[in-house]
Amino acid sequence: MSDRVLGVACVVVAAGMAWAATDYAAPISYEPVGPRAFPLLLATLMGIGGLWLIVRPSLRGNWLRQVPLQSLAFAVAAVFAYALLFETLGFTLATTVMAVPVGMAFGGSWKQALAGGLGLGLLLFLGFDKLLDVVLPTGLLSFILGGR
Amino acid sequence: METLQYLMTGFGVALSTTNLMVAAIGALVGTIVGMLPGLGPINGVAILMPLAFALKLPAETALILLAAVYMGCEFGGRISSILLNVPGDAGAIMTALDGYPMARQGLGGVALSISAWSSFVGSFIATCGIVMFAPLLARWALAFGPAEYFALMCFAFACITGLMGDAPVKAALAAVIGLSLATVGLDSNSGVYRFTGGDVHLSDGIQFIVLVIGLFSISEILLMLEQHHSTAGIIKATGRSLFNLKEMAYTWWSTIRSSLVGFVVGVLPGAGATIASAITYTMEKRLAGPDNRFGDGDIRGVAAPEAANNASAAGSFVPMLTLGVPGSGTTAVMMGALALYNITPGPALFTQNPQLVWGLIASFFVANFLLLLINIPLVGVFARMLQTPNWLLVPAILSVSAVGVYSVHATTFDLVLMSVFGVVGYLLRKQGVPMAPLILGFVLGDMMEQNLRRALSITDGDVGILVESPISIGLWVLSALMLVVPPLMRLRARAKAR
Repeated sequence: MSDRVLGVACVVVAAGMAWAATDYAAPISYEPVGPRAFPLLLATLMGIGGLWLIVRPSLRGNWLRQVPLQSLAFAVAAVFAYALLFETLGFTLATTVMAVPVGMAFGGSWKQALAGGLGLGLLLFLGFDKLLDVVLPTGLLSFILGGR
Repeated sequence: METLQYLMTGFGVALSTTNLMVAAIGALVGTIVGMLPGLGPINGVAILMPLAFALKLPAETALILLAAVYMGCEFGGRISSILLNVPGDAGAIMTALDGYPMARQGLGGVALSISAWSSFVGSFIATCGIVMFAPLLARWALAFGPAEYFALMCFAFACITGLMGDAPVKAALAAVIGLSLATVGLDSNSGVYRFTGGDVHLSDGIQFIVLVIGLFSISEILLMLEQHHSTAGIIKATGRSLFNLKEMAYTWWSTIRSSLVGFVVGVLPGAGATIASAITYTMEKRLAGPDNRFGDGDIRGVAAPEAANNASAAGSFVPMLTLGVPGSGTTAVMMGALALYNITPGPALFTQNPQLVWGLIASFFVANFLLLLINIPLVGVFARMLQTPNWLLVPAILSVSAVGVYSVHATTFDLVLMSVFGVVGYLLRKQGVPMAPLILGFVLGDMMEQNLRRALSITDGDVGILVESPISIGLWVLSALMLVVPPLMRLRARAKAR
């Protein structure tokens, strides 16, 4: 991925912003500058910045080559799965499930990661939910941990 | 005299049992977060901010906690720099240059203790600077109208773009992205929903916490996948664990000079601890003359950058508290924290909420003492913590981040949005787009638009008002200089090198 890709992405986003913002108009207006001007100004600036990067990209190698793509994919998937399962499974179980792929991507064995995840899940749940009153979802374990 | 009175009130706030305890916890957590490579002050503050809010801490207590974490991070970064040759946070990069050689020569204990001492001196001098200059600046800023504020914010962006070094265009783009993200949601002046895609979760705008944790915590985790440094190379601090008087005298003036420079750099909006420590290291090296041992274990090379990064951390509170324009990425995050409490920092804060302002300033002194107290004797404990394996550390960061995000609105939507920002932040950072201007843009976005619209309402749409007062004109000129001078200086340096 080079600066040009980023530049194109900026131009596309800027165009999308400008397109969406043209419709913004106040039904009744008390001021000379409505809700449209500032987003349009920003879209213009973003477009100029994007074009600049397309015309004058800095010369740098393709960073994708140095990235451990497989563990990156695992980690990203784990982050999203964690977000989606957080309420359904409950904090403790979701943390345990998340910790296995993430821990393994960072060099732990699956046993270490599983034990670490379970420990974290229980410890943080007790600490935050029971001790500090930061309510966390209990999900599938609600029959033991109480709550919803 | 009046200032002293206020400061005394502030100490009354800062020395209450709760706030003292909170400052101690913050100092401890901050040192650990700052020490761990990859986690810096922004991460620490971002992760703790929602928790402070969820725990229903009062505003000043929450702010004291976050400030102690910030200062603690600047203290803690040096530990891994010295013992591991891996900077714990960006402000401690320079400390590794001489700290690690010192540790290898068996002077690890001396390097750690002298850097703790100079960190303390740096913070102390800068906090005195806050006490002296902040009220003056606040009084002056009371005269600012919307046009002046708009110019001031443009100046902040000019600073952060011009000083960002190698990629000014990307820094500017980052600021624009941040400003654009701030426009999402209901426009309060007209009742128009902007960029929400019809989603009810976005009608209130993007939650600050979700953005910050996504951009800093989650993307940091993805970036950490590439770091393969092991803690096997950790050097045990051996020899004397405390510096002697001769070493203190030897580094004294370096420390003082670096503290002053660090404070000034910190006050400039946009220039943070990283720049401050780099400037002072170079400055001290030059002042030391030809027969110095800089880069090879010179003790002044440890003292100077540590004094500077702590001084600039404290200094960066000045523009945030007095003008409402943050001086660093971390203070930008703190300003977001204040927004959770419906407090808008700015000149009026000094008169309307002196308890908060002066309590915070007094807590700098308190936290600084606590940090010095815990950092010299406990350094061995911290060094052992540095050996926490990543397979445990990363899931812990991720789960605490998720708790923080979830604690605010308790929706899956926020968690998913956090993950999206994590991936976007990762891609942008890989592409060399700095995050500090982005977060500054997001924090200032609404204020900037409101001030622009208010200014133009006064003149019924005539943009002339933006350059009417001498203050605005001065700020515009300074902004232009900030954008033009650093690239020109770089060009000259390059021409000279050829």
